[in-house]
Amino acid sequence: MSYRVLVNGVEFTDASTGDVQEISEGLFSVLHNGKSYTVRLLGGPGRYEAIIDCHTIAVELQDPRDAATSRQAGEQSGRIELKSAMPGKVVRLLVAEGDNVEQGQSLIVVEAMKMQNELKSSKSGRVLKVNAAEGGTVQAGQVLIVLE
Amino acid sequence: MFRKVLVANRGEIAVRVIRALRELGIGSVAVYSDADRKSLAVQMADEAIHLGPAPSTESYLRVDKLLAAAKATGAEAIHPGYGFLSENADFAQAVTEAGLTFVGPTADSIRKLGSKTAARQLAIASGAPVVPGTTEPVTDFAMARDTARGIGYPVLIKASAGGGGKGMRRVDSEKDLEASIRDAGSEAERSFKSSEVYIEKLVEAPRHIEIQILGDHYGNLIHLGERECSVQRRHQKVIEECPSPLMRRHPELREAMGDAALRVARLAGYTNAGTAEFLVDKDQNFYFLEMNTRLQVEHPVTELVTSLDLVHWQLRIASGEKLTLQQQDIQWNGSAIECRIYAEDPENYFPSPGRIEQLHFPSGPGIRLDNGVYAGWTVPMDYDPLLAKLCAWAGTREESIGRMLRAIGECQVAGIRSNLQLFRHILSEPDFRAGNLTTAYLELHPYVGLPTPKELLLPAVLAAIAMEKSRKPATTANASAPISRWKSDGRRALLR
Repeated sequence: MSYRVLVNGVEFTDASTGDVQEISEGLFSVLHNGKSYTVRLLGGPGRYEAIIDCHTIAVELQDPRDAATSRQAGEQSGRIELKSAMPGKVVRLLVAEGDNVEQGQSLIVVEAMKMQNELKSSKSGRVLKVNAAEGGTVQAGQVLIVLE
Repeated sequence: MFRKVLVANRGEIAVRVIRALRELGIGSVAVYSDADRKSLAVQMADEAIHLGPAPSTESYLRVDKLLAAAKATGAEAIHPGYGFLSENADFAQAVTEAGLTFVGPTADSIRKLGSKTAARQLAIASGAPVVPGTTEPVTDFAMARDTARGIGYPVLIKASAGGGGKGMRRVDSEKDLEASIRDAGSEAERSFKSSEVYIEKLVEAPRHIEIQILGDHYGNLIHLGERECSVQRRHQKVIEECPSPLMRRHPELREAMGDAALRVARLAGYTNAGTAEFLVDKDQNFYFLEMNTRLQVEHPVTELVTSLDLVHWQLRIASGEKLTLQQQDIQWNGSAIECRIYAEDPENYFPSPGRIEQLHFPSGPGIRLDNGVYAGWTVPMDYDPLLAKLCAWAGTREESIGRMLRAIGECQVAGIRSNLQLFRHILSEPDFRAGNLTTAYLELHPYVGLPTPKELLLPAVLAAIAMEKSRKPATTANASAPISRWKSDGRRALLR
């Protein structure tokens, strides 16, 4: 079985093989061209995060027989989704749905581990949706505010 | 010696203190918030008492709950660790008034050294050098102008009630002085409700070097040499070492700075472990900044080089034992470096709390790990992002750096981001290797993400394919295959 391989989002075509041994759950020893590598894998099936020599590499394996797995990431034009860069707590919500905002205006402040991260509007527009509440917790990558 | 001690802290420092307690045959009591029920400290302690919800104001900062926990368990003393209540004079006093021992200096000493301005006045009285400037607030422009002329430009206008860079202005020449005083004053008024400012000489590109001290209740007071902590991000230390590379070029500095630290400590009636922080300018002039009246995060590098256990000594001194060491007994062997492994993105310092899925920490010659985490632990978002402190010791600084780089390569943290790559960047920089450090080090040598070497991609892909092949059929089979009649009949039979 051969996969279509994406490494950090870029097609990877090297089809070389190596000696791969699973040492323990998610921990692999790879020997290739006489060199030894230790790889830790998270995730799967399909998408993996590989940690190797302090580097993190995203590996995506697409089974060609399984064309339905390819996802469509529907980015709607004209809309901007503001995502939290880190998991944390919303300490201040400065806008409400329907508000008009200026470019650079502060919208929301998320705090984690003694650090406050203030998210600002990247353009002028209107707040279409607010997916957060003051005092509530948010995950990394969670869409907090949608602007249009 | 105590029979049982409560550790009023969490994370790696709670583990560190519990280890010392066990080594001395003392019972240990951990305390924990809702977020820390499964923490390493709770697992390792003899007893554990729940404090309250995750926010520290409802748990680790609750004096009443800590005292109740000590009473309930029969602990005789409280070790505060660092952070939280460790430098809170009222807490130290409350512990003492409850008939317990506070493992640290007296409430009185903490008060004397508590604020930057109080410590500065005490230092001046003791004869220790401080950054030239006024101790009195600026009242009028003529006075400010004369002061600034006296100490020489550039100067720094600082808010008396200040902190975090607020109400602070750098002034390079007299023409900007008046406006800067006005700006700093109004900013201070907004931030601290006090427009009081004072003037200090600006120390350009300073090093941050601190002196560890140790004193008992019988007037014995010694210093254990320095730690260089110049490499900082957002005013927080990232790498610390002992000896300071500066002391190799100027060995007389250790004694001079040690002497200054002891003078301040003596005047404050200081007991137990403490740290005097100094700024050192490019001409090796040093200035006392403040006293940290507690155990420091970076104490392990001093322990590695002096072969002393600071937490053992803290406990022995608090229990009333005499400091049997004299200044001439203290020797510094080799070189130690500490890296603070944080749960954060090294590029923007964003915290990265979450579950640690997989974890491997280094070992081998000359490595010490002070750790508060494990694979499967969820790093809470409520506290400081410090995961572990990795220390390397070797005969020379060069060997110690090589050893640390080796150890960093052995670290594997999966599931959350960590700043491991930042250390590779710093430890490989020629300026770090040459010992040319200032507190602006990371601004002058910013971390830019190290590119992933091409040769690592194939092994990652090969491992992922191996995992996909071994897992995928099993998971899809499980999801789609109907449960065998034999199995369900068997289960039913067992339930009968």
